[in-house]
Amino acid sequence: MENIYEILRFLAYHAIFIITAMVFTTYLVLTIFSAVSLRLYLRKNSYVDYNAIVSSPLAPTLSVIAPAYNESRTIIDNIRTLLSLYYNNYEVIVVNDGSKDDSLEKMIETYELEKVNYYFDYRIPCKRIRGVYKSRNRSFKKLTVVDKVNGGKADSLNAGLNVSINQLVVSIDADSIMEPDALLKLVKPFMEAKDKKVIGAGGVIRIANSCEISGGHIKKIHLPRKFLPRAQVMEYTRAFLMGRMAWSELDGLLLISGALGMFDREVVIQAGGYRTDTVGEDMELVVRIRRHMAELGVKYDVVYIPDPLCWTEVPSTVKILARQRSRWTRGTMETLLTHRKLFLNRRYGKLGMLGYPYWLVFEYLAPIVEFLGILWFIFLAISGKLNWPFFLLLSGFVYFFAVSLSIWSVFFEEITFHKYEKRRDVLKLIVTALLEPLFYHPMVMLMSIKGNLDKLFKRNTWGKMERKGFAEQ
Amino acid sequence: MMNAGPYLRLILVLAMITCSATQRAGEYAVQDVPYLETLVQSGEGFTDDGTAETESRNTDGSFGAGLIERFERSPAFITVLYGVITYSILTMIILLVIILLNRRRMQREEMQQEELREQYQEILMEYLFDEGDQEPSLDELVQIASNKFSRQILIDQMIDLSINLKGEIKDKTRALYLQLGLDNDSIEKAYSTQWHKNVKGFRELAFMNIRDAVDRIRECLNSNNEILRMEAQVAMVRLSDENPYQFLDFMEKPFSLWEQLTLHELVIQHELPVPPFRQWFDSQNLSVVIFALEMVAWFKQADAGQEVSSLFDHPEERIRQTAFRVAGEIGMKDALPQLKERYNGESYMNRMEILKTFVKIPDEKHLDFLKSVLDKEEDVQLQILATKAMENTDEPGISMLIKLMKSKSEYKNYQIIIRHVLDGRIY
Repeated sequence: MENIYEILRFLAYHAIFIITAMVFTTYLVLTIFSAVSLRLYLRKNSYVDYNAIVSSPLAPTLSVIAPAYNESRTIIDNIRTLLSLYYNNYEVIVVNDGSKDDSLEKMIETYELEKVNYYFDYRIPCKRIRGVYKSRNRSFKKLTVVDKVNGGKADSLNAGLNVSINQLVVSIDADSIMEPDALLKLVKPFMEAKDKKVIGAGGVIRIANSCEISGGHIKKIHLPRKFLPRAQVMEYTRAFLMGRMAWSELDGLLLISGALGMFDREVVIQAGGYRTDTVGEDMELVVRIRRHMAELGVKYDVVYIPDPLCWTEVPSTVKILARQRSRWTRGTMETLLTHRKLFLNRRYGKLGMLGYPYWLVFEYLAPIVEFLGILWFIFLAISGKLNWPFFLLLSGFVYFFAVSLSIWSVFFEEITFHKYEKRRDVLKLIVTALLEPLFYHPMVMLMSIKGNLDKLFKRNTWGKMERKGFAEQ
Repeated sequence: MMNAGPYLRLILVLAMITCSATQRAGEYAVQDVPYLETLVQSGEGFTDDGTAETESRNTDGSFGAGLIERFERSPAFITVLYGVITYSILTMIILLVIILLNRRRMQREEMQQEELREQYQEILMEYLFDEGDQEPSLDELVQIASNKFSRQILIDQMIDLSINLKGEIKDKTRALYLQLGLDNDSIEKAYSTQWHKNVKGFRELAFMNIRDAVDRIRECLNSNNEILRMEAQVAMVRLSDENPYQFLDFMEKPFSLWEQLTLHELVIQHELPVPPFRQWFDSQNLSVVIFALEMVAWFKQADAGQEVSSLFDHPEERIRQTAFRVAGEIGMKDALPQLKERYNGESYMNRMEILKTFVKIPDEKHLDFLKSVLDKEEDVQLQILATKAMENTDEPGISMLIKLMKSKSEYKNYQIIIRHVLDGRIY
């Protein structure tokens, strides 16, 4: 009895140390996994001739669904990019989500659109579709524009799913710029499937701020000039090249970014489509389709590929970043709450035993505990009870370990895709890695706390992302 | 939504450890932890709460107490912290140096490659297309390709060149490849213990039509490594004169759509001989049957009609689905009554495939069946396909559709379906 008490006391007393060891071990393991899977991916795909997919009759049919709300400034260029993707058997469905600007008029004029007698079924509920438009000009035969009553991004994606008839659907943000070969790279995992059905695939999202863009294509890649977007470059590189790559390898991937993801259309429809009552519809969908497949007892896979496939503009002001992060926090909370049944539930395999607990503890709870820890730290500091030398030692430990992880991700980027060609850009990234924990991270943590408060006080808005528009850059 | 990165977790831990630092400071006996001793002497606010220390010291003898004692007396924790800091700083510096050196190396290699490529191209063109003076060019090639790096560039260059060549010139390229002993490099790669080198070796041998490593390639036909397996299949198809598709007979592993696509592309691009694919309809490997069906459709092997229709009764749904589609692709009009019979007992996807076949093979004899589908089915896609099939029969079908449009059905809005089908702007 005494032994048990002593062990429990030991655990309680040193829980922090244990958590530290767990956290660092987790990150080291994730880094190793991502390194291994990156190496395998690059070797495997260095021999691939993606062009074989373009002309093959065996390639699956695709529908690219792009919801658009008040995207008048960028919509024409973005549709042009979507229509010029390398793939043969695909269509582009742009869903005008009741825009208040002249998006629809611009599309009608530029692409010579007319309302057609399109018959479809509301297999997934969505707001009323006012009309489906096709072009008189056969050069734009791949384009379908759906005009509907405003219902949000998820509702627009559902409308697109209802109109689509192809095997696979690609959900994208209308304001993102896809790499021309993005579809070829995303479709490959679906074609490689053998004993497991591939139900979803995602790729790396890159940051387009300060890049040279013309005609809906990235012409020259630059690192963002401002610190805030540059810190996000660091964050995205780490998250995509290290975190998601490793989670894909571990079969615990819970999120395919809403900016670009490919899904099996029938699976998405059977699972009920996108949920419209959450602001984190991208994560919620992935968790739900995984859960759906597990409940059916069908072997499945959600695949992540490290190729940079899509470019997007990220917030460059604190105000907009705060809105975005608040939304992400609320989305995570809603998804974790909706699917709480998964927590440590063996029936759902790695999803329940690994993916869900990780997200709960490391992604959702961490900022909250961290915030409380900081409050406690302030209290100790004010009351003079703090052991400053020990604090400084720990600060150094955390800071340098964190920066070294970031430098690892820069290294991964360097030996894999090497998108920033200028040496100056790499040095800037290194400096950003050194500054990020001091300035950017505390800010993002507070934004996450705000997200929790917003959810608590039911301030459940999407938040407007004010973009400069690619056409101007 | 995005992963917020490791900092959240890291700083969380920092804050939490800091919270416990006051308590732990008391636990560490200063004389036992030299690092802390230094810290205490130089630091301020180091509290001296000895309660926990006393408690832990009083439990001598038990396992738990031993554990605690060991942890608390040991400076290991502090050492670990210093260790991680040192490791992190060293890692950062080393990685930074590697990144910068790697950039220089890449630039240098790129320049070197470009230079060699230009040289090789010039000499190769001279050698292959100039009838006169061949020997000096060859010597020059041997001289330049003296190390592995240069030889690999030469191999890649020759393969790139041979892709676009035919006949005598292609044979000449192959002869040069052998003469320069580059086949030894390729064979060495084929027998390497590293799979990615095997793949490269197989590719080079297949391109140059060198059969010296065929046994090794055959060994890899059922490899567990799917990339190696696929490359072995491709190489075998290219290197076998008789029955290049023989590997399909022995294939045990599932034949993924990607592998099927690659093989199909190979057959098309290199105009390889096309066998009657129906011979694999009775394969035990279902993915091989599906591939064979796809190829029957692609190469329009209409004489396989009877065998295709025998697959309509196959127990596997995916095979039936492909067989229904292939029936449409190769215009098996005689199979339509059979498909009609099967319709009600099939899954949604298979019913869709059956109707697509009716769209591809218009036959007015089956208008009643199509009309009944239109009437009974609730699914939009099935209704649209049935209507399209009716429309494709021309006069009789269109007349029937016009009649339906004029009629006022209580339970079905024919007009909206027919308008969709007749709208030429919907491709």
